[in-house]
Amino acid sequence: MKYQIVIAGFGGQGVVFLVKVLAICAGNRNIAFLGTENHGMSQRGGSVSCDIKIGDFTNPVIDKNQADLMIALEKNEGLRNLAFLKLSGTLVTNAKDKDKYPELPFKGFAKIDAFKKAENGEFPIQGLNVYMLGFALVNDKNFPFSVQEVKDAITQINTKVAEQNIVILEQAMRDAKESK
Amino acid sequence: MKQTLMGNDAIAWGLIHANVDMISGYPGTPSSEILSEVQKIKHKLNLDIYAEWGTNEKVGFEVAYAGAIAGRRTCATMKQVGLNVASDALMSAAYIGNLGGMLLIAADDPGFHSSQTEQDSRVFAKFARIPVLDPATPQDAYDLTKYGVELSEKFQIPVMLRPVMRVCHAREIIEMDDETNFKPNKGEFKRDVPRWGAVPRVGRFAQGVEQLNRMEVIKEYNWDHLLKKEFDKCEGKNRVLIITSGTGYGFAKETLSDLNLEADVVKVLMPYPLPVEQMRDRFKSYDKVLVVEEPYPCVEEQIASPNVYGKNTNSIHNIDEMSKEEILKAFVNIGLYEGENIYATPPSLDFEVETRPPALCPGCPHRDVYYAITKVFKKKKAIYPSDIGCYTLAIAQGAIDSILCMGASVSMASGFALSDPDKTVVATIGDGTFFHSGIAPLINAVYQNHKFILVILDNSTIAMTGRQTTPSRENKNIDIKKIVEGMGIECMEHHYSYEMQDNVDFFREVKKIHADATGPTVVVVREFCILDGERAPEFIPNIFAKVDPELCIACDQCTTVYKCPPMAYNEDGVIEIDPFLCAGCGGCLDVVCPTDAFVQDFDYLKRGN
Repeated sequence: MKYQIVIAGFGGQGVVFLVKVLAICAGNRNIAFLGTENHGMSQRGGSVSCDIKIGDFTNPVIDKNQADLMIALEKNEGLRNLAFLKLSGTLVTNAKDKDKYPELPFKGFAKIDAFKKAENGEFPIQGLNVYMLGFALVNDKNFPFSVQEVKDAITQINTKVAEQNIVILEQAMRDAKESK
Repeated sequence: MKQTLMGNDAIAWGLIHANVDMISGYPGTPSSEILSEVQKIKHKLNLDIYAEWGTNEKVGFEVAYAGAIAGRRTCATMKQVGLNVASDALMSAAYIGNLGGMLLIAADDPGFHSSQTEQDSRVFAKFARIPVLDPATPQDAYDLTKYGVELSEKFQIPVMLRPVMRVCHAREIIEMDDETNFKPNKGEFKRDVPRWGAVPRVGRFAQGVEQLNRMEVIKEYNWDHLLKKEFDKCEGKNRVLIITSGTGYGFAKETLSDLNLEADVVKVLMPYPLPVEQMRDRFKSYDKVLVVEEPYPCVEEQIASPNVYGKNTNSIHNIDEMSKEEILKAFVNIGLYEGENIYATPPSLDFEVETRPPALCPGCPHRDVYYAITKVFKKKKAIYPSDIGCYTLAIAQGAIDSILCMGASVSMASGFALSDPDKTVVATIGDGTFFHSGIAPLINAVYQNHKFILVILDNSTIAMTGRQTTPSRENKNIDIKKIVEGMGIECMEHHYSYEMQDNVDFFREVKKIHADATGPTVVVVREFCILDGERAPEFIPNIFAKVDPELCIACDQCTTVYKCPPMAYNEDGVIEIDPFLCAGCGGCLDVVCPTDAFVQDFDYLKRGN
């Protein structure tokens, strides 16, 4: 298997956490992977993008036109990194309902206003990353890991918050199915 | 045993599995997690290891080096610009050598992700004449850490490990030792003044000659143990040979595979010293040899031959980090590839997205302090030298005029005060940086009576690199105010307040005092780091802000001078605060907005945030 995923967001959104989840999923199945983090100098609020390449790769960076999936935790951070996604790839993004979205040439595209859901108290904002992961699980039919594998990885990282994170993951998957 | 690890964690395990029991250094991205991971493992497995931060890289190096002289296995960690600070000690240590193994880890940052320069520490190893190892992956980093310690002990010379950011911060499944049988070494200093006392000239000349001979021996060792088998693997069917060092290997292999090209690839694990003659002999079977390395032409310069191509022949990019696109272009340049650029951005995606420039965290006290400084000391009549750390990000607020290197804000304040005496020089420095290298230039300023204001922003943490503790927070609580007073000058003190007027009032007072001063005016502002889980909660008032759209006149004051990330214009042209980013510091409620459009959001906590 070869599958390349870009996760884009800004500092404080938990981008690195998602890379860890995917890394553990791969590790648990003993599939080789390489991941890397790319953050600027800002700790909170600055652009952050992370790459994870699952399968037989020899460098951790995803080049332009190569990614199969991008999970964007915020609209502009997704747009900023679009060049890394290949045309047959899928973009899953959090974007406000009122945001205007450009015409995009990708085969797969799904967006949701996760900010609004958090603001309405449907899930705590700290779980936005996990919410978008759940949304991607449903919307990317080639997603390399099963729901159970993702849940196991979330539990492995931090048992204390795992229960809440899994609730958020399941809610995102329900929302994704409903919005289809 | 298989483990999913980040490169820096792999290095930490490598140190422990090599029985390294003294580690010292200074934090700096991308190296910082190495020492902190050792600390974590130490506590988890209850190991007898000294693993502590030094006040700067030179101190860290010297502590570790003395341990190695006394026969312990040691390590010094730092980033590439930190090695500049430690280089004085390194150059001498490279003559004198050590008894126990000493690994010097200098993590490079090709691509300037979080550094002022893109320098190549492998070249520094060459300059100092010590061997250097260049890992390509986290697995290499683990293996070469252990190998480097052994090598250092074998040849009695510090060995450098030079991982780059894409190794330090890469993650993969690592195969490492099944068990941790950590055996700390017993140090025993053996007096040998002619060796350890670096007095010119007789002893040093002999050591200099030894150094040259040692490099010849290590060159042969490099060939016999590392390089020869790499060359032997090449079948010689291809007309192009690619010589790689570090991450160059992984990038080159993937590009070849993506483009369906054939070439022999040799991975250089020890880029200095190179067995040049043996290598050149093998080059004869190829039309062209391409060197893929980053960031400087370290290998290329050593093996230069008529059929060797690289940075010096303008065949591959000379600046910025590795990418497959750059390697593809190099393949085109040397005539290995003629097809399309598969890594090019499709034209339809070539649109601009609003930038998110680096900024201080929401709720960071530095922002408010800088705001108050620029409010009191007007731009036209002031010069603002600053330093290396989180507070550097206030450059976005227009509150910083110069940044050079650690500690330079103070000495540059001296220089600006001397050269442009009509302006008020207001220098800023963090507490970590002050301890690192700000004290000596302040002594100089007192010594020479240079007139400027130095603001020490004391948040008691080395925040930017991951909140390592500073000397003000361990054991004796070394107090900056008393250090300054020890220099014979008064130190003004202010406790950061989320009510902006308090900060402004304080700096008005500083201005008054400074008007009558003849030498430096030093102030310490006691702050906290918003990300410091231990201390921040007691300081943050949990006062959340929102914007009254009727009052906002879109004057840009908050987006250009205050610069808090949650603030942005909405589609109605009015500022809106992103509730998910607001930290509840309340800093913007006072003074910042000329029309007082920022108001407290009493509903904030009710909305489930």
